Amino acid sequence: MHRLPKEVGKWIYNFFYNERSIAYVKIDAQLCIATTGGNIKHYGLSSLRIGQPVADQLEFMEGLLPCPELPYHMAMVELPSGRVADLHLFADDDCVWLLFLDATAERDNTQRLQQKAYEMTLLQERERQLNEKLQSMNEALRESQEGLQREYQRAETLLLNILPASIAERLKAREQIADNHAEVSVLFADIVGFTERARSVGAETTLAMLNYFFKAADLLSEQYGCEKIKTIGDCVMAVAGLPATRSDHAEALSHYALELRKAVKLERFAGEPLRLRIGIHSGPIVAGVIGERRFAYDLWGDTVNLAARIQTSAEPDEIRISDATQKLLGPDFACDPLAETELRGTGRVRMWRLTA
Amino acid sequence: MLQKKICMLGGFSVGKTSLVRRFVQSIFSETYLTTVGVKIDKKSVALPDKTVDLILWDLAGEDDIGSFRVSHVRGATGLVLVVDGTRAATLAAALTLRERVEAEFGAMPFVLLFNKSDLADKWVIPDGEIDELRQRGWQIYLTSALSGEHVDDAFLQLASMVAK
Repeated sequence: MHRLPKEVGKWIYNFFYNERSIAYVKIDAQLCIATTGGNIKHYGLSSLRIGQPVADQLEFMEGLLPCPELPYHMAMVELPSGRVADLHLFADDDCVWLLFLDATAERDNTQRLQQKAYEMTLLQERERQLNEKLQSMNEALRESQEGLQREYQRAETLLLNILPASIAERLKAREQIADNHAEVSVLFADIVGFTERARSVGAETTLAMLNYFFKAADLLSEQYGCEKIKTIGDCVMAVAGLPATRSDHAEALSHYALELRKAVKLERFAGEPLRLRIGIHSGPIVAGVIGERRFAYDLWGDTVNLAARIQTSAEPDEIRISDATQKLLGPDFACDPLAETELRGTGRVRMWRLTA
Repeated sequence: MLQKKICMLGGFSVGKTSLVRRFVQSIFSETYLTTVGVKIDKKSVALPDKTVDLILWDLAGEDDIGSFRVSHVRGATGLVLVVDGTRAATLAAALTLRERVEAEFGAMPFVLLFNKSDLADKWVIPDGEIDELRQRGWQIYLTSALSGEHVDDAFLQLASMVAK
């Protein structure tokens, strides 16, 4: 190592001694303070007691000695006096020297920079957290919107199942619905001997039976442009000529009746196919929606009552139609006249049996 | 005189300095002032059978765990691992620091503090994760240097562990 000129060495010594306020503590083999010196006052350590354990007087020395990794350096240790020192420990024969170099200014500078850097990092972390939160909130919002949309569509489908589409639209617009229809045909159909059969086959088969019948009625009403208005027990009520008027309502509903009778024969329940009693009558009715929360689209009028009476009077497997309906049918339909019959509440009525 | 060196370990801005201040001086400051280097505080703790002086080494929390000076822990008999409950990454940081210390000096008693429990609306550590760590037999505290909640409990627990 090149020796520095004496003057330079002296200058460096003075510079460091003054600038860094050099102080030292010499620690003996018993880990007691042997001597102290340098600018020890600068660190507030003038009262260190010679010959006493170092760890009792300098708390930061607790557990450090004996230290296998000398020289040992601790940067920027804040002392109880508030001074910050770089501490250097190094060995010399059987004693250890502890050097203090003031680092208060360096610590303060580093702290200023570090503070800015950490505050920046914290802000960035916070921003990222907020962004993530925002994103997950957006996601949740989108999901609930989609859910709402699905619910709406479901409700829509349900509504269309119980109401004709045009009526549903008007209802959604909060319109009061009570319409006069001068010319419609009304049909009733029920299962022959339903009560007895239900009793003998049990609940499950009964349900399957009804389900089969009503499904067929739904499907065919779509096919023939009729509206299934409702079911009452095992009875289906359907109408043609509603809500849009059509001149061939009697024919449409007659086709419907013939097909319905055919359709229910295709399946057997407890070995027996279903047999229907069907009645049709044509005339004016009032159609409307009653109720606000559990609404029902329904028909009223003498036409409806008579159609029901005709249906009850029909034989098993018979489609019985009124004279009014028969007059509206074209030559494609085959009808046999029936003897005039007394119907409850209406007097004597002329009726026909629709065969094909 | 029974004197024990304890090191505060954890990422930056988790509240190591605030916890020491709360424990030693019973004060809290809202201002964040990062620690550079080492700050050493002393607090006497009275245990049922003896009194122990805890020498608390408040070490700078590093942004980059790699630059942590393990040698500062030399002579320590216990650790206070500090996690910021509002920043998930600080849990991993605390656990990594402990691993590095154990690799150098062997296992030593520690308590694990999930700090800032007063910031409930920003809390991100799931209870399940804390329970899982508890099941390892670890001493875990949800602390608030702001309110002082569980701060003394945690230090007293560690004191009794290192005084054995």
